Amino acid sequence: MIKLNHIFKWYTNSFVKTYVLRDINLEIKEGEFVSVMGPSGSGKSTLLHIIGMLDEQSDGEYFFLEEPTHTLGEKARSELHKNHIGFVFQSYHLIDDLTVYENLETPLLYKKIGASERKSLVADTLDRFQIVGKKDLFPNQLSGGQQQLVGVARAVITSPKLILADEPTGNLNSAQGSEIMELFKKLNSEGTTIIQVTHSEKNASYGKRIINLLDGRVTSS
Amino acid sequence: MLKSLLKTALRSLLRHKASSLINVLGLSIGISASLVIYLIVHYEFSFDTFHRDGDRIYRVVSKMDFPDAVFRNCGVPVPTVKAVREEVTGLEGETFFITANQTKVGVVEDRASAPKVFRKQQGMIYADNEYFRFFGYRWLAGSQEKALAEPFSVVLTESRAQSYFPGLAPSAMLLKHVTYDDTITVTVTGVVEDIRQTTDFIFQEFISLGTVEQTGLKAQWGWDNWGSINSNSQFFVKLLPGVSPSGIEEQLVQVRKRHREAKDRKDDTQHFLQPLPDIHFNPDYGIFDSSPSPVHKQTLYGLLAVATFLLLLGCINFINLTTAQAAQRAKEIGIRKTLGSGRAQLMLQFLGESFLLTVVASILSVAIAQSLVDLFRDFIPPGVTYASVFQWHVWVFLAALDVIISLFSGTYPALVLARFQPITILRNQMFAGSATTRGTSIRKILTVSQFTVAQVLIIAAVVVSKQTLYSINKDLGYRRDAIVSFHVPWSFDAWQWSRTAGKSDLRRFTLLNRLREIPEINTISLAGDPPASNGTSSTAMKVNNGKSIVETMVEIKYADTSYFGLYGMKLIAGRNLLQSDTTREFVINETFARFLGFSNPIDAIGRSIQRHGMIPIVGVLADFHTKSTHQAIKPLAYSSAGKSSFMFHLALKAGDPDSWKVALKKTESAFKEVYPDQNFESRFFDETIAAFYKTEQNTARLLNWAAGLAIFISCIGLLGLVIHTTNARVKEIGVRKVLGASVTGIVSLLTREFMMLVLVAFLLASPVGWWAMNRWLQDFAFRTGLSWWVFALAGVFAFVTAILTVSVQAFRAASANPVDSLRTE
Repeated sequence: MIKLNHIFKWYTNSFVKTYVLRDINLEIKEGEFVSVMGPSGSGKSTLLHIIGMLDEQSDGEYFFLEEPTHTLGEKARSELHKNHIGFVFQSYHLIDDLTVYENLETPLLYKKIGASERKSLVADTLDRFQIVGKKDLFPNQLSGGQQQLVGVARAVITSPKLILADEPTGNLNSAQGSEIMELFKKLNSEGTTIIQVTHSEKNASYGKRIINLLDGRVTSS
Repeated sequence: MLKSLLKTALRSLLRHKASSLINVLGLSIGISASLVIYLIVHYEFSFDTFHRDGDRIYRVVSKMDFPDAVFRNCGVPVPTVKAVREEVTGLEGETFFITANQTKVGVVEDRASAPKVFRKQQGMIYADNEYFRFFGYRWLAGSQEKALAEPFSVVLTESRAQSYFPGLAPSAMLLKHVTYDDTITVTVTGVVEDIRQTTDFIFQEFISLGTVEQTGLKAQWGWDNWGSINSNSQFFVKLLPGVSPSGIEEQLVQVRKRHREAKDRKDDTQHFLQPLPDIHFNPDYGIFDSSPSPVHKQTLYGLLAVATFLLLLGCINFINLTTAQAAQRAKEIGIRKTLGSGRAQLMLQFLGESFLLTVVASILSVAIAQSLVDLFRDFIPPGVTYASVFQWHVWVFLAALDVIISLFSGTYPALVLARFQPITILRNQMFAGSATTRGTSIRKILTVSQFTVAQVLIIAAVVVSKQTLYSINKDLGYRRDAIVSFHVPWSFDAWQWSRTAGKSDLRRFTLLNRLREIPEINTISLAGDPPASNGTSSTAMKVNNGKSIVETMVEIKYADTSYFGLYGMKLIAGRNLLQSDTTREFVINETFARFLGFSNPIDAIGRSIQRHGMIPIVGVLADFHTKSTHQAIKPLAYSSAGKSSFMFHLALKAGDPDSWKVALKKTESAFKEVYPDQNFESRFFDETIAAFYKTEQNTARLLNWAAGLAIFISCIGLLGLVIHTTNARVKEIGVRKVLGASVTGIVSLLTREFMMLVLVAFLLASPVGWWAMNRWLQDFAFRTGLSWWVFALAGVFAFVTAILTVSVQAFRAASANPVDSLRTE
């Protein structure tokens, strides 16, 4: 599903190249649950963002679903990620001005899904995550765990093939955290590929494979 | 999608209350000004646009060249009409009419009872049948072909007919009789509908042209005279399709060549074809004789400029505040992008927000427009009222304006916002907390341009006010306070109908004697117009100055023995005029004496002016202004001529307004005894002079408002920016305070940058303002200087207003407890 060949990422700051990723070679198959680990600054998030096509590698090849993304234009890449990838963030990143219902609806709007189908998809998802009672509340009226629940619900509502999670439990207490991880496990068992960035061994243990990064290099995978 | 976008837009507007309020307020001021100005401009440009084939209808006008003056007249010599009908080719039709003066109308109901009388009726013309074909009237009774074929017939508009014969059906009004000035009786032969569209053809009563030929009017209008042009005689022609006006103008030259008298002299008269739409705007010719003056197109363009400026300032606020707050929206943008939104969709969303804001501002401005209309009532044409807002084309205009404004003000911020890379935002490296966001320099430029516009407007307002004050208070060469003047009719009303026209009316001398008995009047003069008045009568004069014969146009005025004394005008050489019935001697002004080549005025005394015989110059007056300060002082001559004196001038007791009332009351009752039929209308001389500057006073008022609003919009924009910066720098302020910075230190830190912008704007505004106002002042022959303090005043005003606005917010931020701001992390 994902194939990275010699991926480099650097920033040029006053004529000095600062490498974030160096020569990453990686293959992730459909249905995997991968945890990316490593100390702060090792390039975990950058790797995730490149895989999610939110960021672009400085050098190297990236095949997503056999498509060479490095040759595609911004529009085509945005199309790919819109249709196949869902994101979950450490700080939830819900839209403050929208209710829970509207937050869930937003990705469907961007996929141009019809009103009636949208309605039933949102209703299903609310039901599945047991947040029907919260649908008219705004994010700031929810607890952190609840917000992340909505965040995950929003990521999966479009039934993406791949979910990218950047320290999804980082701002949650342990009970809330394990709830989210259980959810990921369930999604993975239903066939969704999941890549998560995490610091916690416990969270990593939910996954099937661990990729360790240090100073922008893969030390083990 | 749309619903969702609208919802987010509305919520985001509500969340940022301060900036939304600033934006709505700024935009609605601009929009309401544009709305009212649109109403005015639309109204003025809608005059007579509805006539069928209006593009082929022209008015024949005249231009006369004299040695050093050009006169333009909207009429033609009457015999031209017949000659054109017979000799000019390429015309589909012609119509000729004469606009009549105020007339007393009697409506005869039956022979037994006295006629109903309407004094001073207006809107009468002597017309032919063709008139109705040209200007498309609808007939309610009678017919276009026959109604005015016979002398002594009249066609009335429906409204006029209803006031004469209330309750009668139009067809029942036919064959009724109407009398004019108790002398002449005409028969109603038709009733037409009033014109409902905006038009300058506001005539109500159409008397057959044949009537003129049967009465003494024929002589008055110069029926057979090729040499006299009266602005009452209106000649319209309709060209055949494809015929060029210049070809017709050439044929008119030939017509004059064949017919005019005095063929030995060069023809000084030329005719032009004036297009129908030009009539409402061309100051050279005027509209019709009794119509208000034509609309000044320049003024309309000026108004449009003011509206554009105010709109621009509102838009700048929007751009500045939206880009300044971009950081706060950045998170949402990032999320939306990761959820699959393209750049176009985001731009659409932000444009939608600016559109929504603009619509809210427009709704508000429809309400504001009401007060604007009231406030500028005397500036706005009477045909434009608040009710004019409720026409379909106004809504179309508003909708179009909204789209333009939201595109103009929304595109740049939308571009900036939609360009944000989600990654930078979501990496938690958001720059919400830093003061330097993208587009700071563009914001600076925009703020500088805002304050430049505002300060140029302030400079303009100050200069216009200064010039107006200067003009009104200038020593004009005569006394102007406590002087009242009024006209007496210069003949019996009925004279125009009688064949012995022109017999003078001597009742004014009776009145003169009556007035002399009123103790509250100091001095009385019975003469011509006051030293300064609207009308001018000029004639060419030849003088032998000892070396050669000099000819020039000279303004003629009439005085009597007490006139110069009453007005406090100074004779610098020679003596006062002697009383006389007709012109026997002249007192000239200094300019005329100088023109004749006499640097010492004394030398002009005793020279003679060639007028029906040689008339001596007996005195020279110090120069004085006969018109507004726009005009230079020109050669002028006063003579004493009782036969041409129909205006009373009363000098009242200076500084005693109570006695003026008594004097006016007594004068009026004396006037009523002598002229029972007439209305007494008097005017204070200082008011006449102030009226010369009505345009300037209106302009000054408009500019004051425009400048005030401009500075207001700019300052609230500044306030918005300061609120934003202080919020963004709240942590920095906290740290600085912990390190020992004082409140004043922080206030100056926060305000310094903004004050620099206002200062830069001042440096830009001064030369622009100087250039623009210098050009404006060139229109005045006598003008005030552009003193340095005008610019200083504008700068200080803008600076002080801006600093007050900024420092309030800065002080609040500076005096906050640093512990609160630092704890938030």
